[in-house]
Amino acid sequence: MTTSQPLSPAPRRARTGRWARTPKAPYLFILPYLLIFLTFWAWPIVSSFLMSFKDSRLGADAPYALSNWSRLTQDEFFRTALRNTLVILVIQVPLMLSLATVLAVALNSKLLRAAGWFRFAFFAPLVVGTVAYSAVFRLLFNTDFGVVNRALTGIGLPAVDWLNQSGPAMSVIILAMTWRWTGYNAIILLAGLQGISEDVYEAASIDGATPTQQFWKITLPLLRPTLLFCMVLSVIGTLQLFTEPALITNSGPGNATMTLGTYLYQQGFRSFNFGYASAIAYTVAAIAAVFSIIQLRLFGRET
Amino acid sequence: MKKVMLSLSALLLAGSAAAQDLSGTITVWSWDAAAKALESTIPSFNKKYPNVTVKVEDLGNQNVYDRGLAGCAAGGQDMPDVYSIENNEAEVFWSRFPNCFVDLNTKGADKLVKNFPAFKWTELTAGNKRFAMPWDSGPVVMFYRRDLYQQAGVNPANIKTWDDFIAAGKKVNAKFNNNVKMATVANGQDDEWFRMLANQNGCFYFDNAAKAVTINQPGCVTALNTIKKLYDAQVVTTGDWGGQITNVKAGKTASAMFGAWYEGTIRTNAPDQKGKWGVYLMPASKAGGVRASNLGGSALAIPSSSKNQAAAYAFIENALATAGGQVTMLKSQGLVPSLLSATKDPYVKTAQPYWGNQAVWQTILGTLGDVPQARGTQYFQDARQVMIVVQADYIKGRYKTAKEALDDAAKKISSATGLPVAK
Repeated sequence: MTTSQPLSPAPRRARTGRWARTPKAPYLFILPYLLIFLTFWAWPIVSSFLMSFKDSRLGADAPYALSNWSRLTQDEFFRTALRNTLVILVIQVPLMLSLATVLAVALNSKLLRAAGWFRFAFFAPLVVGTVAYSAVFRLLFNTDFGVVNRALTGIGLPAVDWLNQSGPAMSVIILAMTWRWTGYNAIILLAGLQGISEDVYEAASIDGATPTQQFWKITLPLLRPTLLFCMVLSVIGTLQLFTEPALITNSGPGNATMTLGTYLYQQGFRSFNFGYASAIAYTVAAIAAVFSIIQLRLFGRET
Repeated sequence: MKKVMLSLSALLLAGSAAAQDLSGTITVWSWDAAAKALESTIPSFNKKYPNVTVKVEDLGNQNVYDRGLAGCAAGGQDMPDVYSIENNEAEVFWSRFPNCFVDLNTKGADKLVKNFPAFKWTELTAGNKRFAMPWDSGPVVMFYRRDLYQQAGVNPANIKTWDDFIAAGKKVNAKFNNNVKMATVANGQDDEWFRMLANQNGCFYFDNAAKAVTINQPGCVTALNTIKKLYDAQVVTTGDWGGQITNVKAGKTASAMFGAWYEGTIRTNAPDQKGKWGVYLMPASKAGGVRASNLGGSALAIPSSSKNQAAAYAFIENALATAGGQVTMLKSQGLVPSLLSATKDPYVKTAQPYWGNQAVWQTILGTLGDVPQARGTQYFQDARQVMIVVQADYIKGRYKTAKEALDDAAKKISSATGLPVAK
């Protein structure tokens, strides 16, 4: 117990001069960032909130009112956009994450030759420009000349009018998104897999666990934090979904593939109704926040 | 006499001196065939103003609109010197950004008012200001494949009503085993057919004062009913802008209905079908009814941020306010002039080889006087979005009657725009 010396109390600093002794250089270094952050992030966020209370079609002098928010509560188009977004969310995210998990496990396998090449191949869709890949999907699913319909009729199945019917159009969007983002999630999951110690598997094999048992009892539980990360990102991404419905189906046919993202764009930049678009944007942000909290609560508990 | 000659030559000198004064580069934003048409007027412009370089940028229709609005919202950032604008969409610009464009009256446009039909100016003026100069108009006609009609035993001269059109379509279906349809209708991607037919029947989204929603009036009900009849008879297929062109190229449709500016689209996309095409008037809703309508039509404006407004105006004046300029564009891309003197140009009466030596321009321009007026208003895009969906839903059978569908459309447009539904 010779070491039990009382800790000397921290020397009291005089209140005056505290600022004088604080080093200023760090603040100077982050100042440019702070200024940019305030001008281009913080201010627009505040400004669009204020704007959501104005009918921007009446010009800058329009009075503050609740008209945008009351329109939102009874807007059928908004409900359609929300419903479409949720449909994509519920189908596409689980589909993509299960595929990505299987893919990640396969890519992690020691039996696989040229693993690096496969990893690149599955990640490659993300490198392709969105406009280019959308154009390719439009061509693939063209009713009369698309290769998909050629293949279908080739094996005796009826051709599908992919982009002009609501159900098929939605499935094209989901397919396109899955094609583009599965590899990305697989790579993140692969990093998670490689963080799991070999010892655990070794011990399990000695105890006689089959590979299937190992996957369900070891891989999945230990991969949970990574999966959660992928899920939260995918859910937020899907809520903001814009590119695919805008470029592949143009939100159509009708409003069949209109999402919150394309509806917001349509109100903001087609009708130039920024006030209403701001109200939509805030609603989307709120929904994303709620979803993220729910996911963190449900799946985030440490075992 | 000598004095007169002297002062004349002095005048000429002064004129050419002023022309020499204009110099620099002007940028023009436009789309597809319209951009090519403007390009075709550059040689005649450069004859008058050799020191001005004109750059026409083809951004595509939607992009011109989007970038224009974004530029105006940013206080005139990144705008060209000459801006192409569709009449239907023009009022969004004037009402949201009254300072974004030059009042062309200050450049002398007020002297040209009488040279254009009055209806072309309504959407281009706000208050006392004249924000754009009328360019082309879009009198609607039916373009058709002579060879395909002939093989199916259809005589276009006998197609006077939509019922005749459907009967002809059934013949075409029978002849080609349903592999050739009468036309491609945008359903779910656009509502062009509805707009063309509604306008033909004297109805549109809004009244001409832009004060009330009129989409559920009888003329519009007839229009929507006709589209449903075409689908139910299976004489039309569905496709967006690109799909329609693909069908024309592939010979999957025997006709196409559009504003007359589509002439250039067919001619340049299917040059190998030269001589196979012809034109007839759009069918009427009932025997003896109106066989004319308007779809589209554009104008040119000068953004206030342009540094070379004088040259920009000179360019617009040469292209739009002279018969020479307008006829050049008619020849190169089939843009239908709205300048009155250009519609009397001898070229209009000339037989067109591509169109089986038919004098199509005479047919097309002949309908201009019958076109009922209609106005886009600043809420055009809101109304269009509603109507695209309602039309698709009605075709699908989600409403019992066209009237019920359009009552619903009127309610939705009214709630989106704040304008009341007309009684």
